[in-house]
Amino acid sequence: MRAGRTSPLLWGATALGAAGMLAAYFVSGAPRFWANWLVWYLFLLSVALGALFLVALEHLVAARWSVPLRRIPERLACLLIPLAGVGLAALGAIPVLYPGARPEAAADPVLGGKAVWLGLPFFSVRVAVCAALGLLALGVLAGGSLRQDQEPGPRFTLRARRFAPAAMAIFALAVSQAAFDWIGGLAPAWYSDVIGVYLFSGTFLAGLAATTLAVLHLQDRHRLPEIRFDHLYSLGGFMFGFVVFWAYIAFAQYLLMWYANLPDEVWWYRARTLGAWLPVALLLAFLNFFLPFFALATRDAKGDGPRLRWVSVVLLAAHWLDMYWLVFPALGATPLFAWPELGFALFFLGASLLWVRGAMARGADMPVGDPFLQEGLRFRL
Amino acid sequence: MAEVFGVLGLFESADALLAAIPGLRARNLGRLEAYTPYPVHGLERALGQRRSPVGGMVLVMGILGALTALAFQWWVSAVDYPLVTGGKAAGSWQAFVPIMFEITVLSATFTAGLGMLLLLNRLPFFNHPVLHSRAIRGITRDRFALAVEAEGAFDPEAASAALAASGAREIEVLPAPGRGEPLTARSILDVLAGIAGACLVAGFLAYWVVKLAPVLPPVSHMLDQPRLDPQRPSAFFRDGRGMRPPVPGTVARGCLPIRLASPEAAALLVNPLPRTPEVLARGRAEFEVRCAVCHGVLGNGIPTLSAAYGAKPANLMTPAMRQTPDGTIYGVIVLGKNAMPSYAADLPEADRWAVIHYLRALQRAQNARDEDLP
Amino acid sequence: MGPEAAGQRLDLPESLRTPALITGTVTAGSLDDQVLRYPEGVPARKWFVAIGVSLSAMLLGLVLIGYTFFQGIGAWGNNSPVFWAFGIINFVFWVGIGHAGTLISAILFIFRKRWRTAIARFAEAMTIFAVICAAIFPLIHVGRPWLGFWLIPYPNQRGVWTNFRSPLLWDVFAVSTYFLVSLMFWYLGLVPDLASLRDRAGSRRRRAIYAILCLGWRGSATHWKHFEKAYLLLAGLATGLVLSVHSVVSFDFATSIVPGWHMTIFPPYFVVGAIFAGFAMVLMVLIVARETMGLKNLITGFHLEVMNKVILGMSCLMGYAYAVEGFSAWYSMNPVLHHTFMNYISGRYGWAGWLTIWCNVLMPQLLWFRRCRRGYPWMVLVAVGVTVGMWFERFVIIVVSLYQDYLPSSWHFYAPTLVDYGILLGSFGIFFTLVLAFARVLPVIATSELKADLPGSQPGHGGSHG
Repeated sequence: MRAGRTSPLLWGATALGAAGMLAAYFVSGAPRFWANWLVWYLFLLSVALGALFLVALEHLVAARWSVPLRRIPERLACLLIPLAGVGLAALGAIPVLYPGARPEAAADPVLGGKAVWLGLPFFSVRVAVCAALGLLALGVLAGGSLRQDQEPGPRFTLRARRFAPAAMAIFALAVSQAAFDWIGGLAPAWYSDVIGVYLFSGTFLAGLAATTLAVLHLQDRHRLPEIRFDHLYSLGGFMFGFVVFWAYIAFAQYLLMWYANLPDEVWWYRARTLGAWLPVALLLAFLNFFLPFFALATRDAKGDGPRLRWVSVVLLAAHWLDMYWLVFPALGATPLFAWPELGFALFFLGASLLWVRGAMARGADMPVGDPFLQEGLRFRL
Repeated sequence: MAEVFGVLGLFESADALLAAIPGLRARNLGRLEAYTPYPVHGLERALGQRRSPVGGMVLVMGILGALTALAFQWWVSAVDYPLVTGGKAAGSWQAFVPIMFEITVLSATFTAGLGMLLLLNRLPFFNHPVLHSRAIRGITRDRFALAVEAEGAFDPEAASAALAASGAREIEVLPAPGRGEPLTARSILDVLAGIAGACLVAGFLAYWVVKLAPVLPPVSHMLDQPRLDPQRPSAFFRDGRGMRPPVPGTVARGCLPIRLASPEAAALLVNPLPRTPEVLARGRAEFEVRCAVCHGVLGNGIPTLSAAYGAKPANLMTPAMRQTPDGTIYGVIVLGKNAMPSYAADLPEADRWAVIHYLRALQRAQNARDEDLP
Repeated sequence: MGPEAAGQRLDLPESLRTPALITGTVTAGSLDDQVLRYPEGVPARKWFVAIGVSLSAMLLGLVLIGYTFFQGIGAWGNNSPVFWAFGIINFVFWVGIGHAGTLISAILFIFRKRWRTAIARFAEAMTIFAVICAAIFPLIHVGRPWLGFWLIPYPNQRGVWTNFRSPLLWDVFAVSTYFLVSLMFWYLGLVPDLASLRDRAGSRRRRAIYAILCLGWRGSATHWKHFEKAYLLLAGLATGLVLSVHSVVSFDFATSIVPGWHMTIFPPYFVVGAIFAGFAMVLMVLIVARETMGLKNLITGFHLEVMNKVILGMSCLMGYAYAVEGFSAWYSMNPVLHHTFMNYISGRYGWAGWLTIWCNVLMPQLLWFRRCRRGYPWMVLVAVGVTVGMWFERFVIIVVSLYQDYLPSSWHFYAPTLVDYGILLGSFGIFFTLVLAFARVLPVIATSELKADLPGSQPGHGGSHG
C-alpha cells in the first residue's frame, strides 16, 4: 500500500475527528455525544462481527470458493480488539441515554421488575462477556488461520470446523446482546423479539460489503490477482440475497407493529417514521433495499467489480444510516446532523481504516496454508 | 431428391461433441444445433448462440405484476368500495405488500416457465425431424448429437463427411417433415364440434349444479334452520302454535286497561282533549281509517261495504246519537256493541277522544243551523 | 462439482475429504435404467400394501370431512374461545412440511450444492403434495365451505370485494402462489425426464402420453439455454417464496393481539420451523425410498448426513427462537403474557410444551454425534420426534394461547373430537397416497440433472464447484 500519501491524511482526519468529538461533548452535550458513540460502535461492531460470521460460516459449511478470500474478513474481524474498548467506554452512555438504568426506574411499574437487568452492573457484565467471547472466537478462527500460514496442513481446518458451531453460538449471543441491550435498552418499555435477527441481517450485509470493498481495494493494488468473476459473483450473490433478507425482516417487524397498533409498542415506529424522521426512513429503505436490489439483479452485475464497489459503499452507508435511525430518535423528533456527527465520522472512520490497514499487513493475503486453497482458486460457477 | 432437413451425427461424450464444433462451424455447411441429454457447460458459447432473454422478460413482468397487484388492491380498498377495517386507513399500502409480493413472484414465474416453453422454445411441438429420428433414443439417454441443418443450398454428403471426420459415430440424414396433415375443413369442424360438445356438457352440468346446490343439504341447512319462524307451527308448544298469543292480561302499548261493565257505565267520562284543529284532524284521520268502513264517511251508516258485510251499522247522525254522552261513545269504542267489536286495541286512549271530537263535529255539520254560518 | 473432479485428497484426513455423492459406477445410461424402471414397470407388492393403507386413511379422512360438511364445525372440538384448533394446526403443519422441498430444490440450487440433485425431485413433489394437504384445511374449517369462492376477488353480484387488509386473504394468495410456482418448477424439471420416458416407451399409447406431457422436448442446445436460465430464475423466485409463504402464515397469528401470538419473531421463526419439519419428513421418506427402491448408490449416507446437519442447525435456531420468546415474555413485564407463557409449560397443556421442547430442541442434539447422523435408528427417531414436536408446537401456539387469554370469564378448555383425529390421520393418508402414486408414475430422481453431475459428464476444464 502506498503509505506515503494516505497515511498522513488518515492520521490527520482521525486527529481532527477526535478534536471534534471532544468539542461535541462539551458544546452539544452528553446525550448527543453518547448517541454518536453508540452509532459508531454499533456500526463498526456490525462490520467486525459480520466479517467474523463470514469466516465462521465458511468453516461451518465447508465452503471452498471462499477459501482464497478468507484472510480478508479475518483481518476485518480484528476490529473486535479495539471495539472491546470502545464497547466498554460506551457504557458511559447508560446513565445518559438508558432510562432503565436510572434510579427512578425501580419505581416505574413496567421497568421496576427488570431494573436489575437494565441497570449498569448487569449490563456491563453482559457487554464484557460478549466482548470476551467475541475475542475468543477471533483468536481461534483468525489467530489459528494466521498460524496455519506458517504450519500448512489440515490441523487448523479440522479445529475450525469443530469450533464453527460454537462460533455461531457466540455470534448469535453477541448480536442479540447488542440488539436487545444497546438498541432495545434505549426504549426499555418497548421490546421486539426479532430485533436480534434484524441486527444480524444488517451485520451480515455490513461484513459482506466491507469484505467485498477490501477485496476490490486489494485487487486494485494487484494483491489478489487470482480472484475472478466467479468469486466476486458469489460475494455479490450473497449481498443480493441478504439485501432481500434485510428488507424482509425490517418490513415484517414494521408490518406487525403497524397492524396491531398497540400504543405501548407502535410509538417506537411512529417516532421513526413520522415528521422529520420520515425522509430518513425512506432513504434507509431506498439505500438498503431498492438501490442494491436493482443494481445487483442481473447475473453480470453480481460479479462486476466496479458495480460491487459502489454497491458495497452504499450498503455500508445504509447500515450506518440504519444504526443512526435506530439510535438518534432517542434524542428527539428532529434528526440531528451537523459538525458533531462529522467529527465522529472522521474519527471513527479514520481510526478503523488505520487499524484495518495495519491488519491488512499481517499474514499473507490468502490463507496459503489452507489445504483447499487451490480448489478455491479453481472454483467455477 | 426428397427434401432434407439436415444431417445428424452422434458422439459418445460431451468432450467429443465440443471438440467437433469449431471445425464444423468453420466449414459453414449449414446451421449447427446440438442435442444433449442434459445441459453441457460451454455449449451455447461454442455454438455462438446469443444469451437467453428470459431474465429481462422476467424482470419486466415481475415489476408489472407488482404494480398491477398494488394498483388493484388500492383501487378496490380505497376507491371502489372503501371500508375501514381494523381502524386502518382505506388505502394502507402496508397491508397490500404481502399480496403484491406473491403476485410478483407468480407473474415472474409464469413468465419464466411459460415464456420459456411457449415463446422461446416454441414448445409444444411434436413434428420436429429429430423426434422422428433413430438418434432421439440415444439423445435423451446418453448420446450427444450435432446436427447440420439445411440453410439455403445444402449438401448432405458434404455434411455427413464433415461430421464423420469430426468423430461422429453414427450419421443419420433427417428428412424434412411432411407438411403435416393439412388443415381440412373436416378436421376444423371436428375440433369445433368437440369444443362445442364440451361446452354443452359443461354448461349443462354447471346449470344443474348451480340450480340444485342451494336446495340440497348441506347448502340448504341455512334455509332449514331449527328456529321459530312467523306463521309456522311448532312442535315445542302443546298447542302446536309457533306464534304465541299474549298472556291473558297483557296490555297493548298505549292502551291502559279499562274496566267498564258496559258502555253506559262510562257515560260520565269527560273528553280530556281540547277541541283544537290538530285534535280534530287526528280524529278525522282515525275516523276515516277505523270507523268510516262501517259507519260511512259521513257517519250515517251507509258505508261502501254494506253489501258485502251484511250487518247494518248504526247511523251516528240520528238525534238519539247526538244526545248520547261522549263517555258512552267512548265505552262503545272500548267494549264494542252488537256486531261492532272492541276497538280498544286499534285506537289508543288519545285517539279515541279525538275521534269523538270529530264525530261531534260531523254531527254538527250534518245538522247545521243557520247560526252556524259565518 | 463432480464427485471425483477434485480427485481423492489422500493427503487429507478422511473427515475433510470430499464425500462421494454417488457410490459405485453410474453412467447416464445405467442411471436411466435404474430410475426409470419404476414408471415403466409394475410395482412390487409392498407398494400395493402401502398404498392400500394410505388410501384407507385418506378415505377415512374424506368421509369425516364430508361428515363435517353436513354437521357443521360442531363435529370438531372447536369452541369459544378456542376457535382455531386442529384445522389450523394441520394447515400450518402441512404448509411447513412443504418448505423443505422448495429449499432443497431452489435454495440449494442457488448455492450450487451438488448433493441436492439426487433428492430434489422427490422433495419438490412432496412440497406439492404437502401444499395440497394444507390447502384442504382453510376450505373445510369454515362453516360454509361451498362459499369458499367468496375469497376470490372478482367483480360479483354481491357488490363486495374481498378484504385485502386481512392476513387470512394474504394466506389465500400466498398458498395458491406457492402451489402454482412449485408445480411449475417441478413440471419444468420433469420435462427432460419425461422425454427420456417417451423415447424408452414400449407401447404407442405410452409414447403418445409421454410425448404430450413433455411437449415434444428434444434437448437442443437452444432449448437447454433458455431452460437453464428459466430454471435458475425460478429457483431464485421460489427462494423468495420459502421466506414469504410461511411468513404470511405466521402473520395470521402475529398481526393479532392474542398473548403469545403477537411476537415479531414469528415470521423467521415459522420459516425456520417449516424447514425443520419439512427436512425431517423428507428424510423419512427418502430413507424408505432408498431402501425399497434400491437407490442407495444415488441417495448415499452422505446425503442423509448432510440433511441431518441441516436438521441440527434448524433445531439450534428453534432453540434460539424459544429462548428469545421466553426472554421477551419476561422482559415485557406483561402479566397476561407471563400467564400465557407459564401455560406453555404448566397447567393443563404443559405436557405439550415440554414435549415440543424435548422433540424440537433437546432430542435433535443427538445429531451432534456422527453415529446418530449416519445410523438409521437414531436419525429416524429424531426425525419422527421432530415431526411430532413440530405438530405439537403449533398445538401449543394455537390452543394454549387461545384457551386462556385476556378475559378470564371466557377461559375454557379444549378437547379434540374423534373427527379431528380422523381428519388429521386422513391428511397423512392423502399425503402418502400422493407420494406413493408419484413414486409409481414419475421418475423420483431428476435423471437429466443428475446426469449432468456424473463424473466425466461435463467437458473437462479442471474446475471445481465448491
